[in-house]
Amino acid sequence: MNFFNIYGERLISAIQTHLFYVFTSVGIGLLVALILGILLSRVPQYAKIIMPILSIFQTIPGIVFIGLLFLILGMVPITVITALSIYAVFPILKNTYTGLLDVDPALIEAAKGSGMSPMESLIEVELPLALTSIFAGLKMSTIYTVNWAVLAAMIGLGGLGEFIYIGITSNDNQMILAGAIPSAIMAILLSLLIDFVSHLIIPKGLRRVG
Amino acid sequence: MIRFENVRKQYGDNIVLKDISFHIEPGEFVVLIGPSGCGKTTTLKSINRLIVPEGGKIYVDGKDISKIDPVQLRRGIGYVIQQIGLFPNMTIEQNIGVVPKRLDYSKEEITKITKDLMKMVGMDYDQYANKYPSQLSGGQQQRIGVLRALAASPPIVLMDEPFGALDPMTRTVLQKEILSLQKKLKKTIVFVTHDMDEALDLADKIIFMNEGNIAQIASPEEMLNNPASDMIRDFMRNTSISAERLDLTAGDFTKSDVVTAYKDKSIRAATDIMARNKIDSLVIKNDDGTYAGVVTIKAIRRHGKSTGTIGDLKPYENITASIKEDAKKTFDKFYDSPDNFIVVLNEDNTVAGFITKSSMAIAMADTLWGDM
Repeated sequence: MNFFNIYGERLISAIQTHLFYVFTSVGIGLLVALILGILLSRVPQYAKIIMPILSIFQTIPGIVFIGLLFLILGMVPITVITALSIYAVFPILKNTYTGLLDVDPALIEAAKGSGMSPMESLIEVELPLALTSIFAGLKMSTIYTVNWAVLAAMIGLGGLGEFIYIGITSNDNQMILAGAIPSAIMAILLSLLIDFVSHLIIPKGLRRVG
Repeated sequence: MIRFENVRKQYGDNIVLKDISFHIEPGEFVVLIGPSGCGKTTTLKSINRLIVPEGGKIYVDGKDISKIDPVQLRRGIGYVIQQIGLFPNMTIEQNIGVVPKRLDYSKEEITKITKDLMKMVGMDYDQYANKYPSQLSGGQQQRIGVLRALAASPPIVLMDEPFGALDPMTRTVLQKEILSLQKKLKKTIVFVTHDMDEALDLADKIIFMNEGNIAQIASPEEMLNNPASDMIRDFMRNTSISAERLDLTAGDFTKSDVVTAYKDKSIRAATDIMARNKIDSLVIKNDDGTYAGVVTIKAIRRHGKSTGTIGDLKPYENITASIKEDAKKTFDKFYDSPDNFIVVLNEDNTVAGFITKSSMAIAMADTLWGDM
């Protein structure tokens, strides 16, 4: 208990910073991914070329990327958020794109034949049907981002990574766990939250009828 | 209502519609039929601009549709597809309300329309309106698919093999329902199928297509009687050939409401009977009730006098079949004969009834699929 007396306040502030990074980055990532995913799904012939190129980004190690951005943007939160947002985009983008392409063409034809404009078809038919897939992507992104956000501490920008780095450099297992356990719990809780929200938002008709 | 003028559609070098022209009257039930790849679906989808032809003009209600905004055009034309295409994220009521909602109907109006339409196909509003498509059977789903097309009361409804994916029993029921809906609502319906029995059952007019051309436009009766080509004849034969496997006899297809007259009837009375029954031929019986032949209105006119009895006329020797005869034999005999109907005789040579070409096809469909 002694640990919490000393580090309790710092831990709470680290959790707050961490959550801030995750929410902001996933939020930005979601927005960018939805827009890109929708646009790409309108032009699948180009998407076939663009998607693999975007996926290369995903293979650059986070540590390299944050380091590079640090050199360009400096030691400001925007560096972390930019890097994390870019990582958050891809899983959502991929799932939005495939979710939209997986919509039964017969339904799109029915929408068109019923006099829906392309925008109405997208909003009333295609996006609702892609929601399950989009939420799966969002969940993946969120869990990744909770992990990647640990790297913020690498450039001295706080978050739970701070405890982990201090722990590693000072060979203090307690410190490492103090950073690792809350971030693991955070990942679990956030993914539960997303499941809950998706349950509220995904139309009932799309759930499996038992 | 709908007019095609030299409409041409091609994909690369492949011409799918070769300058076709036809017109459809308001309230007509028109069936587009033909082998796969004949252009029937392309023709259908040109009407609501899901497909845009390269040449020619299409008029709907006198207006050139290439000058109408496709979204507006489609809101005025019902559309039913084979894959049903109900939106799984919407309830039954929301699905039916898709077009009315676009046309700014109020919520109350949409509910009323939904109730009225569901009643017409015998589905309970309270039980089904808030269900999702996945909770309904295939037949129920396609009923809703049809209702969705009718919801904003468009004058025209396009149906692209709407019953093709349903089992034969359900299909027969839905065919009957669509006919009764059509009678009540007086829609102009354009219906694509590759099933000749379905075409014969439903159509006022059949447009038979082959390789991007129109091979024949005719009423079901006329097409059965005078198919324009061997190809159409074969097509009709093939779709009905499955009756061979069942032990059906001519009697199974006989309509007993035949109008007959004894030889000693006066010619005047005979023409009267024909006029009243709206028929152009009369089956004549000998005094002992046996079959004597057929008298047509033509023969009476040729005779020139309204005095005398029909026994004075030389009866036409119409094609006949015994009631116990194998149906396949009757059918083949019938196909090769110029006569419009076949007279079915009991074993004692009295008249049992008659079969027309279309009634044979329809009766066969019922027998094969079971009467609902």
